[in-house]
Amino acid sequence: MTLSLELCLYLCAAVFSIGVYGVLSRQNIIVILMSLELMLNGVNLAIISFGRYFITESGATLSGVPPSTSQVFVIIVLAIAAAEAAVGLAILLAVYRRWRSTQVGDMRLLKG
Amino acid sequence: MDALVFYISGILMIASALLVVTRKNPVYSAILLVVFFVLTSVNFLVLRSPFLAVIQVLVYGGAIMVLFIFVLMLLNLTPQELEEKADPRRKALAAAGSGCLFGLLCWAISSSKRVGEAGEVDLTGAVTGPAATAGETREIGEALFAEHILPFEFTSILIFIAIIGAIYLTRTRKSSGPAEKDEKEEGAENPQEAGA
Repeated sequence: MTLSLELCLYLCAAVFSIGVYGVLSRQNIIVILMSLELMLNGVNLAIISFGRYFITESGATLSGVPPSTSQVFVIIVLAIAAAEAAVGLAILLAVYRRWRSTQVGDMRLLKG
Repeated sequence: MDALVFYISGILMIASALLVVTRKNPVYSAILLVVFFVLTSVNFLVLRSPFLAVIQVLVYGGAIMVLFIFVLMLLNLTPQELEEKADPRRKALAAAGSGCLFGLLCWAISSSKRVGEAGEVDLTGAVTGPAATAGETREIGEALFAEHILPFEFTSILIFIAIIGAIYLTRTRKSSGPAEKDEKEEGAENPQEAGA
C-alpha cells in the first residue's frame, strides 16, 4: 500500500472545504473560529505533504530547497493561528459583553 | 502499514471535521476538534515530522483548545442563546459554495502536471542520506534560527501585538480611571470578607 502526494492533497482540500462550509453556514462565532482552525490545519497538512515529497529517496531535495523549510513554514502558521485564536476570542468576549449574543446575525451595525 | 494508518486517520479526520461544523452544541464541537488535532498529528508522524506532531498536540490540542473551552465555560451560554436561526437557504448556499471550492481544488490537483508526476513516489518510503534527519528537532532549530531568523522575529512581534490587542479588547469599559476601578474592586471584595 503506497501513499501518493495526490491523495494527501485531496485530504487537505476536503478538510479546507469543510472549514469553509463551517464558516459560511454557522451563526455562532465560536464555531466559526473553530472552522478557521480546521482550514489552517488543512493548509498545514498540505505544506507537510509537499515538504515530505521534496525529499527524495537518495536524501537530496528537489529544486534545491533545504529539507526543513516546510517545517519552519508550519511552525510560523501555528504561531499565527495561536495569535488569531487569542484575538478572535477577545473580540468574541467584547461582543458578548456589548450585545449579550454570540450570533453573527445579531451584529449588523455595519450593515448598510 | 504507514499508508494504512494515514488512510484510516484521514477518513476519521474528515468525519470528525464534519461533526465539528455540524454539532449544535459548541462544547461537542470543541471536543471533536481535539480528536481532529490528534488525528492530524498522527498524519504528521506518517509524513516524517515527529517534532511538528508533538507541537500540534501541545499547541493546538493543549493551548488553543483550552482557550476555546475556557471561553465557552466563561460565557456559560444557555440553550436559548445557543440556538441558531434555522435558515435552510443559507445552509444550502454554504454547502454549494464549499462544494464548488472542493471541486475546484480537486480539479486543480488532478490536472496539475507536477502532482501527476509525483504519483509514483511513495511518501511513506524510507529516506537515507543528508535529508534523513529532516523534521527532527535539531534540523528544525538550525533552519529556524539560522536561515529563517527574520520571519521568526516578525512572528514574535506579531504575537506581542496580538497579546496587547487581546488585553485591550477585553478590558472593562465601565471604570474611567484607575482610581475608580480600585475602589470598585475593593467594594467587590468587602462583601466577601464580611460574608466570611
